[in-house]
Amino acid sequence: MYDLIIIGGGPAGAAAGVYSARKKLKTLIIAESFGGQSIVSDSIENWIGVKKITGLEFAKMLEAHIRAQEGIEIKTPEKVISVEFLNGNNVGNVGNRASNTNGYEVATDKGNFYQSKSLIVASGGRRRHLNIFGEDKFEGKGVSYCSTCDAPVFRNKLVVVIGGGDAGLETTIDLMPYASKIYLISNKELLTGDPLNQEEIRKSDKVSVIMNADTQEILGDKFVSGLKYLDKNDNQVKELKVEGIFVEIGSVPNSEFIKDLVDTNQKGEIIVDYKTGATSRPGIFAAGDVTDEIYKQNNISAGDAVVAALSAYNYLLNIKKQ
Amino acid sequence: MPKITIYTTPECAYCKLTKDFFRQNNISYEEKDVSVDDETREEMAAKSGQLGVPVIDIDGKIVVGFDESAIKELLKL
Repeated sequence: MYDLIIIGGGPAGAAAGVYSARKKLKTLIIAESFGGQSIVSDSIENWIGVKKITGLEFAKMLEAHIRAQEGIEIKTPEKVISVEFLNGNNVGNVGNRASNTNGYEVATDKGNFYQSKSLIVASGGRRRHLNIFGEDKFEGKGVSYCSTCDAPVFRNKLVVVIGGGDAGLETTIDLMPYASKIYLISNKELLTGDPLNQEEIRKSDKVSVIMNADTQEILGDKFVSGLKYLDKNDNQVKELKVEGIFVEIGSVPNSEFIKDLVDTNQKGEIIVDYKTGATSRPGIFAAGDVTDEIYKQNNISAGDAVVAALSAYNYLLNIKKQ
Repeated sequence: MPKITIYTTPECAYCKLTKDFFRQNNISYEEKDVSVDDETREEMAAKSGQLGVPVIDIDGKIVVGFDESAIKELLKL
């Protein structure tokens, strides 16, 4: 049985791993991949101590730091699908479960089961989808969630970017050298992203901004051919003839696998005590974008995870005493 | 040796991870940057039904995205 299982390989998972290894906890990290959501960023310029780094370099840096820790075990790529509470008094010797103490059993997509006395959930977030007709069908067939990957694929094509926040504006800028025409649409009245980027976008004669638009349906046959939306200014349903649709409307927490064990808020974020990273259940801590932390930032995720790791360490010391 | 083609774009992180994976496993591949010309893009789209990268063609079998498990299975690694 492990002392601690860390779920996730982003900045939170990596920070928790480094701290738990230095506390000599018997630790396992289970990660789908390293680097977190920033892996697709073409330039990170706010990671403290590093002027500028690509998302991929950042991911490799985190992975290298984890792999440099002695005694830490790493399972990757592997995805946690469920977590169960093990009651040490009741479980008995079921299979290979160590059962003399309370703990948790983590099941993965590889069919593996791992047991630990404590957990740090650092599983991050993933891209929010529009949840409109055609979106799933056309993912990778015109619908993209990664402009640094796919912007060049739409050279000389008409595209639409959905979302007026920072990510939407950055995606629009990524597309400017390639697409022949870019519609930037938002369901709000105003763009909310970085003013400097707004200025750059307004200067481009390739970009048309459409506000107050509710997306309704993605059209196409084998590939995307258009987007239907409701123009809330005149209440008319309109259609854009586009071959590319870039969805940039925020993220959702990867908390499904543990929702039944810990309290979450309406967004599905795990509710944590900010001082300790503790969740509603003893022995389970959480950090980073999967939590109700307000600011979703790499630096904050790493810091939160340090709090969670030190709290897990104290928790383990306390249960040892009992 | 299997014939492998990776369709990429210049800044795509998953494309780089894919190439790293093949290099680390000493497996040679051909890279086709779909941003260079329309023909390469159309070739990828026709072959895979995809307009996103990376697309990996392993002896005619298509893997979409850097799906390490799927690649390993096809290559019996």
